[in-house]
Amino acid sequence: MTHIRRNAAKLTFGLVFTLLVSISGNLYAQAPNAKNGEALFKANCTSCHKMDAKVVGPALMNAAERWGDDKKLHAWIYNNVEFQKTGDTYATNLVKEYNGAAMSVFAGVLKPAEVDDVIQYIKEWKPVVVVNDKPTPGGGGETDNTLLFGILTLILAVITFVLLQVNSNLKKLSDDKEGMPAIEPVSFWKNKSYIAFGAVILFIVGGYYLAQGAIGLGRSQKYQPSQPIFYSHKVHAGINQINCQYCHIGVYQGKQATIPSVNICMNCHMGINEYKGKEKLYTAEGTEVNGTNEIQKLYKYAGYTVGQPWDASKATPISWVRIHNLPDHVYFNHAQHVVAGKVQCQTCHGEITKMDEVYQFAPLSMGWCVNCHRNTQVQFKDNGFYSIYEKFHDKIKNGTMDSVITVEKIGGTECQKCHY
Amino acid sequence: MKKLSVIGFITAGIALAGCSDIRREPGAVYMPDMAYSRAFETYAEKDSAFFTSDPSDGSGKIFYNNKPVEGTISRGEELPFSVAKDKLGDSANYVASKVITSPLTAPLAGKDSIEAERLYLVNCGICHGAKLDGNGPLWKDGSGPFPAAPAMLVGKAQYENMPEGQMFYSVTYGKNLMGSYASQLSRKQRWQIIRYIKDKQLAKKAAAAPAPAETVVKK
Repeated sequence: MTHIRRNAAKLTFGLVFTLLVSISGNLYAQAPNAKNGEALFKANCTSCHKMDAKVVGPALMNAAERWGDDKKLHAWIYNNVEFQKTGDTYATNLVKEYNGAAMSVFAGVLKPAEVDDVIQYIKEWKPVVVVNDKPTPGGGGETDNTLLFGILTLILAVITFVLLQVNSNLKKLSDDKEGMPAIEPVSFWKNKSYIAFGAVILFIVGGYYLAQGAIGLGRSQKYQPSQPIFYSHKVHAGINQINCQYCHIGVYQGKQATIPSVNICMNCHMGINEYKGKEKLYTAEGTEVNGTNEIQKLYKYAGYTVGQPWDASKATPISWVRIHNLPDHVYFNHAQHVVAGKVQCQTCHGEITKMDEVYQFAPLSMGWCVNCHRNTQVQFKDNGFYSIYEKFHDKIKNGTMDSVITVEKIGGTECQKCHY
Repeated sequence: MKKLSVIGFITAGIALAGCSDIRREPGAVYMPDMAYSRAFETYAEKDSAFFTSDPSDGSGKIFYNNKPVEGTISRGEELPFSVAKDKLGDSANYVASKVITSPLTAPLAGKDSIEAERLYLVNCGICHGAKLDGNGPLWKDGSGPFPAAPAMLVGKAQYENMPEGQMFYSVTYGKNLMGSYASQLSRKQRWQIIRYIKDKQLAKKAAAAPAPAETVVKK
């Protein structure tokens, strides 16, 4: 008896439910329009759903087939909170699978007919077959002429040597003809003038390299270490136009530009778990790098599994290798240069937006610093930092001072500006 | 003689092949004790024999975790946000955050406005677009690398009517696929950005509204 009653209850509920849906359907009796659905989908659903991938919510391709019943799917989209109250097993499992993440209620946002349009769009959607266009070959780079010049010099030197030998042989021949007594020939490595010449050359060349080596001690221009993760500045700051300060937050606030925490990486990489860029990635040696694998390395540091909620407290810092190192006896402050001095990042760091692997662009030598301080003009007017230079401002105003103010003029080359 | 030249040629070849412009080592310095800091610099690794970052470590090591003492408020900083982060699958606090009001009630002007715009463009514009239309370079109408559409901050009623406290909640703790910006932006900066968004939304509404709504006081 109770069995029948339960079945009857189920039946009546089903009837009422279908009635409700059909009424709402009848009110807007139109064939669902996938094109309209596409626009609605883009406006309302894309912040959490993608067709072919799980984002915040599930991938929607074949969603209608998974639900099995369009009416249920309709009711779910329209008002998922109400629908959950019916205790539908598929819905309950779905909520459980996504750890109770709440979907927005679309009652009042979308009309029932519009929900149908969206469902129609989901049904009709097919993955776009991407025709892989040929990747551009890894940059050939500029040709270096030094080697060419070196070879040319060597060839010329050999020719000179041969000609000198020919000359001496001819002289010997002519001397023989004239019957002059032949001088005992001296082999060229014992010839004193050759030895003297060689010694002078060795002194100049050796001295040059010795001096260069000594100057270069402690400088690391072009230093390009391998990093724990192949992070391409070209992809992030160049192609995707992320501002330098998005990650290097400290550059406006203090001495250090700061290295981003894993949290900052995960701001985007919670969503972006594959590298799909057209540009292939290459190390400086020319080995190809798989971008997706590198993102996986980040996930290891972050303690994140794709599809699971991320617990930021489980992240471990990434030990990036520091490239730009000033000796401890030099003080350098990023904020002063960027905020007060209005210097662009690229002035000292080079074209970061074109570097896959970053290298030290500037020599970071004292001469380099001082030269820039001598030549760089300071934006003196309308710059809060220099407002206290009242005498200067007065002098500029009454014309007793040139309005071109370099860093040197405001004490930028004093020793104790940087060494103290 | 011939043997010698062959050997010389091969060594020269190897030496040339070994030459590379790629510099993977930083090189040596003159006086390491002057070049490398004796004091602890930013990001310097601490000797785990003397330091610990675990406050409950009872081994007598020095506790140091690079963080200010809990509850510290720097000068000029706004007071802490009173709403905690929701537990997984819960949205009670997200709803509760609606009542929190912003310390910045007046529209931004002058320097503040420029600074807020800069902060917005650096931190938010990349997804939400420089025009706040939810179409930044990472989304690009769905062709960018980011998989989820960013919120259309101007032009969608849902966000135009969103209380500032709730926006602050989202920026602080993250929402959907957007991450937390608490590590990048101070509380003051977060409120400034929200004020900037609200200003833009109001400007859009004022522009869309008919002429009588215009009550600009001329100075």
